[in-house]
Amino acid sequence: MKIKLLNLSLAVAATVILAACTKERDINDAGNLVPKTVEQDVSLPSIAVNGTQLHAEAFGQPDDALLIVLHGGPGADYRYLLNCKGFANQGYRVVFYDQRGSGLSKRHSKDSYSLQLMYDDLTAVVTHYRTSPTQKVFLLGHSWGAMLATAYINQYPTRINGVVLAEPGGFVWQDVLDYVKRSRDIKFTSELLNDLLYADQFLTGKESEHAILDYKYGLLGIAEGSKDSPTGDEGTPPVWRPGAIVNKALFDIGERDKPDWTKNLSQYSTKVLFVYSENNKAYGLAHAQKVSSPYPNRQLLKVNGVGHNMISFPTGWNNFYPTALSYLNSLK
Amino acid sequence: MFKKILVVAFVVVSINTYGQTINWARLQKTDRHILGINTGLDYSLTAGLGYGYQLKIKIPIILNAEYSIPFGDNLLDDHKTKIGATVRLIKAGKFAFTAKVQGVFRRYESDYVRLVNFGSDMSVTGGYYKKKWFIAGEIGFDKAIVTHFKHKKFYKDVFPNVKDGWYEPSTGGNFYYGLQSGVSFKQSDITLRVGRVITQDFKTTPGLPFYAQLGYAVKLSNKK
Repeated sequence: MKIKLLNLSLAVAATVILAACTKERDINDAGNLVPKTVEQDVSLPSIAVNGTQLHAEAFGQPDDALLIVLHGGPGADYRYLLNCKGFANQGYRVVFYDQRGSGLSKRHSKDSYSLQLMYDDLTAVVTHYRTSPTQKVFLLGHSWGAMLATAYINQYPTRINGVVLAEPGGFVWQDVLDYVKRSRDIKFTSELLNDLLYADQFLTGKESEHAILDYKYGLLGIAEGSKDSPTGDEGTPPVWRPGAIVNKALFDIGERDKPDWTKNLSQYSTKVLFVYSENNKAYGLAHAQKVSSPYPNRQLLKVNGVGHNMISFPTGWNNFYPTALSYLNSLK
Repeated sequence: MFKKILVVAFVVVSINTYGQTINWARLQKTDRHILGINTGLDYSLTAGLGYGYQLKIKIPIILNAEYSIPFGDNLLDDHKTKIGATVRLIKAGKFAFTAKVQGVFRRYESDYVRLVNFGSDMSVTGGYYKKKWFIAGEIGFDKAIVTHFKHKKFYKDVFPNVKDGWYEPSTGGNFYYGLQSGVSFKQSDITLRVGRVITQDFKTTPGLPFYAQLGYAVKLSNKK
């Protein structure tokens, strides 16, 4: 028995020594496990607005109508929405930006976030790219981005000339919770569940350690392309680097304030295009009708053959784009 | 089908093995081997087996080895092995206090990455132990000391410059605290552990912020 224990100890020691002979990397260094942000890599396209630095790009003619693309999450980035560059060939100035603390934009402390700050960032982005006061401004938001677009319109009902909303969780907090609960209805014995949870014993980080937290949050992205997920996507959409802290901060704000972004929507008489997908079992027509109902003038579009990330994949994009373009052109 | 057979075989074969929770009031000096199984929540829904060996010395020390896997389609892509020792430090009447130190080797794999980690798990337990039942409180710290990352094509397509290899400093750590209890009969114990898990910054919790483990153990005596 003693000999076996000695052999086992030697084997473990040898493995540890072997591991120690290789060059270790620092888990908190950006660029190792996740890409650097615009603050750390000056070669990335960025804009300095509202006290932060946002990863941002614009396509199309500067004087064309602005189409601001708002990504989901909170904390995802605009990479998975780059199909929307297609609008730039149709007379739109398409603006992408990673929201504060998301994607490749600058990171901030958790307690610095507020919904008003997110609205102010959007205002600053519009101001940055707008070339004249008469230049029309459209929003295209997906998931959380569609919630942000609606929250902004609710706050400033006269500023936006039209909006495309793709599967927002909800505009009142309870609808958001209901949707999130349905979208996370994952079988307890599934591979997806341990893909999502088991890594928690390998990776933890303080709130200031953005690289490791963002990396860990990114591992959860596997859910979006899983056959075990009810959201029905055909694959996992690509993102550069999710923002774990902004995601946590905005969810905590939602839990605390239980926002209702519908109170002023009756003042917004412009038609909105509200989009939902065929394969997202957590969404569906009933939720789409309920969530969109505060808008007095709305058009519902069901995108067939795809799930929640309907804009990211060819099938969804081909079914979404013609109607979205027709809608925007009707308001241009 | 093969995976289902493996799961069934795993459970059947390990029916006589060990759960790590021990009724110290019932443990005899002649109890040499402890075998058991357990199932529960340990960062996922898991099943485990293990083996304990009580040293032939005056102080009760049990050397132990545990192995557990989470459920899922890919049965062996994630797993955890712990090797260490449990020692009873203090015995005062029916009260006993113990300490456990284990080395941990664990593996995680998804479509993004394969993680291999060496860590440690240290805990102390204090409780009230009778021949037929016991209840105790436990607190411990599970540290992921050094982790090797090997990313798959899917992640490399997303971030081509990702750097594989060993990462330091410690990539993670979680505290856990809870209760353990059990009933004992003949050479067997049926035990239950439940508790909460919190990350080492005391501000966040894992996706599954609690643990639970139902175990069955049988002790084999050596009369010599």
